[in-house]
Amino acid sequence: MLHQNLEWFFPHKVEEAVKLIEQQGVILHGGGTRILKTSPKSIKGLVDVGNLHLNYIHHTDSKTSIGSAATYDDVIRYSTKTDRFPMLAKALSEAASTPLRNRITIGGSIKDFPIWSSLYAPLLALNAQIEIIDTHEKIISLEEYLESGVIKTKHLIKRIIIEDDSHLIGGVKRFVLIRFEYPLFTVAVALRAKHKIISEARIFMTGVKGRYKHFRRAEHFLIDKELSDDTIQQAENHFTPKFVSDYKYSAEYKEQTAKVFFTDLLHELKGTLK
Amino acid sequence: MKFSFKINNSLKELEGFPNETLLHVLRNNNYTEVKCGCNEGECGSCTILLDGKPVNSCQVLAMSVQEKEITTVKGIGTLYTPHLLQKSFVEAGADQCGFCSPGMVLASYSLLKENPNPTREEILVALDGNLCRCTGYVKIVDAVEMTAQKLNATNSEMEQVCSNM
Repeated sequence: MLHQNLEWFFPHKVEEAVKLIEQQGVILHGGGTRILKTSPKSIKGLVDVGNLHLNYIHHTDSKTSIGSAATYDDVIRYSTKTDRFPMLAKALSEAASTPLRNRITIGGSIKDFPIWSSLYAPLLALNAQIEIIDTHEKIISLEEYLESGVIKTKHLIKRIIIEDDSHLIGGVKRFVLIRFEYPLFTVAVALRAKHKIISEARIFMTGVKGRYKHFRRAEHFLIDKELSDDTIQQAENHFTPKFVSDYKYSAEYKEQTAKVFFTDLLHELKGTLK
Repeated sequence: MKFSFKINNSLKELEGFPNETLLHVLRNNNYTEVKCGCNEGECGSCTILLDGKPVNSCQVLAMSVQEKEITTVKGIGTLYTPHLLQKSFVEAGADQCGFCSPGMVLASYSLLKENPNPTREEILVALDGNLCRCTGYVKIVDAVEMTAQKLNATNSEMEQVCSNM
């Protein structure tokens, strides 16, 4: 339960918002779904991002900028309309439910990074960048944001940047038993090829031990190869996700399932590789 | 403290606390047609339309949506003047205990406003955040389909009348 004397702030400038969250117990409020799930008593104040004009999706100079207050639904609609980043739209349209997708914001999901995140794997595979403001403004890759620990610091996410890349094909798969369930894991693969020979691969997974994993060994294996059945079978040996056992599934079960999902995804992409 | 909203086309000031969800503020101010089910954003009983889009009011802090437009199930039709969708729910036998109905009706209403001719799959996706323990969903989907057909028939009749004028 949130504190009854919760203080609310409605700044009109991002700089004001950044200053406000420097205070102990004061955090940003986007859609609010995550805050209500956890409802920590330690929260003394909420800084609403509603007046910061961060709910937008723009396309300029071969880049798409997604404002951090854009909802999952906003991104799905934009992607459907423009045909840009279908992999991300697919992942988001499978996440949560229609009423929740109307509230969950991209920025909130990135900052919180729940273990069941449907957003991270496709964004990492798409090599997305992120613009944040703390003491100063900077643009870094989403992977660096996680690796360097920036995610744990107090900051405001302004936007996500995804570069246009018509040669990149990608796919995403998540493991759930029923549609409306938190996924056990999500795997995303993005490939670039020339004359069907892979020149670049990006493979990421969330839900694994350590929250996310970049499969560099599998990527390296795929480079300069055609995506044949044989290659896919061998790629599986280089894809070694590690999981933690829980009350439902053993780590081994999850690992084997993830391998099946990974090879299924490669088989799906095989047909579309040019 | 007082919250101001536009509820069902009327400006309203409601009493509440800054830590309260929209669901509780609405219910504590007699909008009891908004049902409290799981209180965790899973069941959809508390669905309302926020600026025309369905949201789980239990997952929205009231303070963050002041001055916004809220539609409850009573905003689209009443007991004596039900909306076509509400009539179809009755005709199709799509409500049994009726607890999920306000959320189901609003989610369907939002879908039909945007997509007047949805497929069964599209209806299922639109209702993916609304759970029903009684009907098994088939009759609910039937009711939405039935409404779409009636609305389309009415529209084509209207078009015909206009073209004959």
